[in-house]
Amino acid sequence: MRYLHHRDLPKTRPVARLRWLLCGVLFLVVAGFASYSRGPAGTRTIWNAVPFFGTTLQADAPPQANASGPELKLPLEEKSVRFAVIGDSGTGEREQYDVAKQIESYRQKVGFDFVIMLGDNIYGGHSPKDFADKFEQPYKPLLDAGVKFYASLGNHDDPGVERLYKPFNMGGERYYTFQKGDVGFFVLDSNYMDPAQLDWLENTLHNSKAKWKICYFHHPLYSDGKSHGPDLDLRAQVLPIFKRNGVNAVFSGHEHVYERLKPEEGIYYFILGNSAKLMTRDFSSTQNMVVGKDTERGFMIVEIAGDNLYFQTISRVGETIDSGTVARQAPAPTQSSR
Amino acid sequence: MSRSIRIALRRQLRRQTCCAYALLLILCVAGFAQTKPDSAADQAEARILADFGSRIRKYLEARQNAGGAPKPAKEAEKLADHRKQTAAKLRAERTDAKRGDIFTPEITRYFREQIRATFAGPEGAKIRASLRRAEPVRGIVLKVNSAYPATLPLQSTPPTLLLNLPRLPKELEYRIVGRDMALHDTVTNLIVDFIPNAIPAS
Repeated sequence: MRYLHHRDLPKTRPVARLRWLLCGVLFLVVAGFASYSRGPAGTRTIWNAVPFFGTTLQADAPPQANASGPELKLPLEEKSVRFAVIGDSGTGEREQYDVAKQIESYRQKVGFDFVIMLGDNIYGGHSPKDFADKFEQPYKPLLDAGVKFYASLGNHDDPGVERLYKPFNMGGERYYTFQKGDVGFFVLDSNYMDPAQLDWLENTLHNSKAKWKICYFHHPLYSDGKSHGPDLDLRAQVLPIFKRNGVNAVFSGHEHVYERLKPEEGIYYFILGNSAKLMTRDFSSTQNMVVGKDTERGFMIVEIAGDNLYFQTISRVGETIDSGTVARQAPAPTQSSR
Repeated sequence: MSRSIRIALRRQLRRQTCCAYALLLILCVAGFAQTKPDSAADQAEARILADFGSRIRKYLEARQNAGGAPKPAKEAEKLADHRKQTAAKLRAERTDAKRGDIFTPEITRYFREQIRATFAGPEGAKIRASLRRAEPVRGIVLKVNSAYPATLPLQSTPPTLLLNLPRLPKELEYRIVGRDMALHDTVTNLIVDFIPNAIPAS
């Protein structure tokens, strides 16, 4: 007896060939329904269920509660500055809500009172419903607890609306600064780095008396991601200003991964663009990388005490992806251009 | 000293003086010839920029009459309503607005030259790389007085390019859409005007 193989189909009966085709279509339909039924957002497509087309099936696994509670790597020193970091978060999909739940569970343990947002805070439309679904609802426990959010603008954000949206604390500006304890935060709009913003950055950094100077914005200056990669023109314009004025750390999003990069001339770089979006197997190299994760979504918690910055990056399922301490490096004694 | 020698010395001095005057005259003429076109170019540029500035001011006046920029609000509804109303009034006021109202042919020529020079300059390769990596927006047909599609991202405008373009008031922005460059009003989300194929082909 000869077993039927699909290679033989054209040689046998057209009906058998059609059966194979129907089986394939049926598989796609069933897999598609399974994919839809898993998420509340209803925005997923049938292709998400198919490994070839989907982003990741591994990351779609429902988050498991960490049996031992949040694992903490920060020292929680007295009078330290503590905050959380999220980037590329505003999808309104289940994964964003999962990450938000983890942030809240860590807030209860760490006690941070503000969150910095690295852009793409609201994907897609910017109707009031979008603000509710993609910000107010997922972070409701944090907002109810009095946690403040300080947003920067990404390429998916609407500058005309978001800078005026009070819960984002942008004070009506595309770029702004605020200080917590010894730490100065300089929030930039990397979508539109015009001469006025460059002047403002130079002056504000130069006049700041903060011990730590942290800049954050959407587009990374260095990145090993292949989806986007580093913004070379932005780097050419802002990096000399950072160096002249003693910036200590830079946080960016845009690339939908987590990456801690090698420090460059006393400046530490972090990319966190995976608080809802994820681009799996995105790293094209490890040229600049210290630690990278492109298979899971996450967020960071940071504590700054004295000359040390402690950080912990946590996944959607509560696992610690990366943690460590970096020491503040004294800025090189260079003259400001002003 | 004999009289003939004195006369010869005087003649030589006269000749040298004449040569010095001639040289000075040549230098002056050459300098004038060189500076004249530059100053003419500067004047032309100043005139174009003044015209551009005046058209921008006129647009901002129209927007101010339509409702102006809103104040920060806690409720997204308030911001959305303000934008909707302001955009509707502004559209009504500018019903006859068309491409070229702000980017006149002369201003367009100036912008094209600035953009061409920027891309041809030493930072050109970096600018192109940055544009490629900033989720390029394609497939939008720009239309004056129409809204920028709310669900589409805004491509970042390269900083080096912005250094070479006239500065804008803070609520207006140059935005690259495909190879076109739009003047985008962030308050109303309207396309104020645009230059087709402004970005040189790679």
